[in-house]
Amino acid sequence: MSNVLIIGEIDGTEIKNISQQVAAVAAGMGEVTGLVMGSGISEAGMKLAAGKIIMADDSSLENYDPVKYASIASHVAKENDIQTILLGATSMGKDLGPRVAAELNCGYLGDCLEASSEGFVRPNFAGKVLAKSKPSGTVVATIRNNAYPAGEAWSGSVENYSGSITDSTLNTTDVENVGSGTVELTEAAIVVSGGRGLENAENYDSMIRPLAESMGAAAGASRAIVDAGWVSHSHQVGQTGKTVAPELYLAIGISGAIQHLGGMSGSKCIAAINKDPDAPIFKVADYGIVGDLFEILPILKSKF
Amino acid sequence: MNIAVLIKMVPDTESKLEVNAGELSDQNFKYMVNPYDEFAVEQAVQFKEAEGGKVTLLSLFSEDNSIDTDLRKMLAIGADEIIVLRQNGYKGDKPLANAKILSDAIKELNVDLVLCGIQGIDYYQAATGTMVAQMLNMPNISGVTSLEYNAGILKAKRQIEGGLQTVETATPAVVTCQKDMNKVRFPALKDIMMSKRKPFENKNVENIDSNDISTSESSLPPARDGGEIIEGETTEEKVDKLIEKLKMEAKVI
Repeated sequence: MSNVLIIGEIDGTEIKNISQQVAAVAAGMGEVTGLVMGSGISEAGMKLAAGKIIMADDSSLENYDPVKYASIASHVAKENDIQTILLGATSMGKDLGPRVAAELNCGYLGDCLEASSEGFVRPNFAGKVLAKSKPSGTVVATIRNNAYPAGEAWSGSVENYSGSITDSTLNTTDVENVGSGTVELTEAAIVVSGGRGLENAENYDSMIRPLAESMGAAAGASRAIVDAGWVSHSHQVGQTGKTVAPELYLAIGISGAIQHLGGMSGSKCIAAINKDPDAPIFKVADYGIVGDLFEILPILKSKF
Repeated sequence: MNIAVLIKMVPDTESKLEVNAGELSDQNFKYMVNPYDEFAVEQAVQFKEAEGGKVTLLSLFSEDNSIDTDLRKMLAIGADEIIVLRQNGYKGDKPLANAKILSDAIKELNVDLVLCGIQGIDYYQAATGTMVAQMLNMPNISGVTSLEYNAGILKAKRQIEGGLQTVETATPAVVTCQKDMNKVRFPALKDIMMSKRKPFENKNVENIDSNDISTSESSLPPARDGGEIIEGETTEEKVDKLIEKLKMEAKVI
């Protein structure tokens, strides 16, 4: 058993689901201390599933700043004799994790698919190779979203961070919500993705986005249509895009190039719609419909 | 503005991934410049064109692989010089050790900005750039999709969940580049010829001890079996069957 520090993230007034997943993983590894950083986060931070929660609540911490956040996390890790630090593999976690590891001069494992006191498994080569390791010293690891079920919120003891907050030249001037009202790709339980079979950008907008919205899903895309400029790169699933592991991945008009499969083959269930019966996507799909998507999608949409 | 761009040489996407007795075989790998690092080179050259200064490419790699041709392409894009740190027994999955060696080399260059790709397409740790920043005591901004520089201030937009965070900082700083950042130019023939005369230095560096975590076992993921193709008289019937299965069998909706 070791002392585990989890770094929780707040989204509005709630603790992020990924942070509760990380908390559940940590609970199986040892004594858990939670750290939440931000401004006005105390109420949401209390929900983090940890026996002891340290709150760094300060107006200078409103936006993520790697310099400030890493110095606080390192300070807390040293004060509490921490051997394992776990974070969600989010835009913050993947940036903060390596910085904290460098500050503590310890090992780092990014985007882990499995984490337990038995060891860690992480993907190499976009998931085409899995690497297992069993660290003996201190380690910082980020855990991929949806790899584990979330822990339940419960009230542990709460204390305020009492160390100093270091100066930083970084200054966040704006946080822009590009996909407002839509579900974030890496956090979604359902992902509806479109590919070249849609023929043009207008069809992506008129067919994929509304279907995703009515299913409560995030809208994804293949590399081909991102490169063609139909949708922004933030929607891309696959080797040079995002890796997703939702409950349901619905691939529409996507042939399933190996680079794409690397980004979604960890999904619990894959369903594919494609007119080509030999499309590689059907080799990984649990369910497939061979047919014309322009005929199938309107009917599918009418069911949600 | 003097800029260092960190380049990782990675197995090209055609390289066959074979695992023997729990170990990934790298014998037949051919190496190329990590695609994310190309965005960093392009951005560095654009800054140099606007502000003046020098772009130095820095790469840490093994002793025995020839990578000159692929790296020269980065000079043709407009970088000024290359320093390759050659290390016996180099491994791409030791971010802590590699960041230490790279940051020591950067200290000798006196740069205002360090750029690199957000991650290597080999081990996907997305760690080295951020670690280099910490070791140089510089701020870092990662996953940047657009970067501007004006009178000593960098303005970066980085991808976050659901949107973009705009961050400003004074230099020096480390920025890791995301795919949408720019379009990497195709060098003209004249630039390709010119690149052959640009400085290309190989330096030997020693192995260092580090707390990097070594892989105990590599494996190929279990193949996913193809599932069921849904049959039916009409499209409506196929769709109904699919939804039924997603609800009742897979229980995902």
